[in-house]
Amino acid sequence: MPKVQKLIKNWPLHLMMLAVVVVFEGINTISIPTPIGGISLLPMLFAMVAGLVLFLIKPLKFVKEEQSHLSGDFVMIGIGFLLAKVAVNTGIQLENVLKAGPALILQELGNLGTILLALPLALLLGFGREAVGMTHSISREPNVAYIATKYGSESAEFRGVMVTYIVGTLLGTIFMGLMASVLGGIGILHPYSLAMACGVGSGSMMAASSASLAAAFPEMAEQISAYAGTSNVLSNADGVIMTVILGVPMCNWMYSKLYPVIGRGKKEKKA
Amino acid sequence: MKKITGEKVTEYVLILTISAVLILIGNMINTITDKNPDTFVSVLAGLPGILILFAIAFAGTILGTVIPKVPTAIWITLIGVLVAMPYNTVTAPFVVAEVNKIGILPTCTPILAYAGVSIGKDWTEFKKIGWRGILVALFVMIGTYVGSALIAQAILAAQGII
Repeated sequence: MPKVQKLIKNWPLHLMMLAVVVVFEGINTISIPTPIGGISLLPMLFAMVAGLVLFLIKPLKFVKEEQSHLSGDFVMIGIGFLLAKVAVNTGIQLENVLKAGPALILQELGNLGTILLALPLALLLGFGREAVGMTHSISREPNVAYIATKYGSESAEFRGVMVTYIVGTLLGTIFMGLMASVLGGIGILHPYSLAMACGVGSGSMMAASSASLAAAFPEMAEQISAYAGTSNVLSNADGVIMTVILGVPMCNWMYSKLYPVIGRGKKEKKA
Repeated sequence: MKKITGEKVTEYVLILTISAVLILIGNMINTITDKNPDTFVSVLAGLPGILILFAIAFAGTILGTVIPKVPTAIWITLIGVLVAMPYNTVTAPFVVAEVNKIGILPTCTPILAYAGVSIGKDWTEFKKIGWRGILVALFVMIGTYVGSALIAQAILAAQGII
């Protein structure tokens, strides 16, 4: 069946989505006060969980595999509205964005922070070559494709990249939203710095994290979304290049140094 | 240049139209429940804004399909910046005034609702990943986020912006 007919035939799915939107926009943002500041739970996060629950528990019979695939198209195409809205904010804030250009460009290198933080942890937990796939980058689609071509889809590295990809897909949006909210509340890092970090090359992760920040700092909302949007575009543009020339080589080098010390290589040496 | 079929164009229009309706209704409800009585935006009042966003998203998606060397996200950003930047005195005043009536949060809510249904099919794969894998993946996100924020902070402070 052609896609267009499928889209029309599935009107109950769209009606269900409308109900989800109405309910959670009706409730609006829930702010949970904590000792380190308020955590904002946004309607979009509840909507995502609701969609997942509706698929898994299937209280409505028409939500099946086909509807799940169709929903994927809505994420890919529909995210255009968010990107357009962020682009308009970037246009409004163009002078500020240009002024902050050096910070926006150099913070891209911060994406390598994952190797410094997560690779040692992966080795301590006993992962082998999977660790390189897991921690060389935030493992969105372009990185998965690169690892697949470099190491092959049967490799340990590929199994690793898929772990981070799948966890990121399922928990990433919600986790990034909470992390931005918590770090904004702690207040050591400026909201602008946190905004620039929101762009990791995934539209929904950028949406949740920058919107959580904007909810916490409404007077800076426009600039937060402009910085987050620009850094996301930069991550989109440089993501794979960074992975190829810096991420994977650096990850492999650190792996070779650390594996014999803190990884399984330690036990192997003793035995 | 890649060819694009009429079928594909209709598909994009249909998906964007359904999304636009959901966003517009969600946006109106959001302006009621945000506890700020001054911000109410009815469906009618939000219509020009959502149509502008529709046009930008549609044009960017088509360009991204026809010229895939440049990703859709970059096309959309380019068009959005050009129509809204202050140097553009022709379209910017109108675009900015209308698009400001559409909140950023309501543009995400319906998309993430669909995302929830979409990731549902990956759930069985997810269940196979043990706690160690999940922990490492969360640290990957923390590392990326905090790493970028630290560098941004250092440079913004050095420039005197913050």
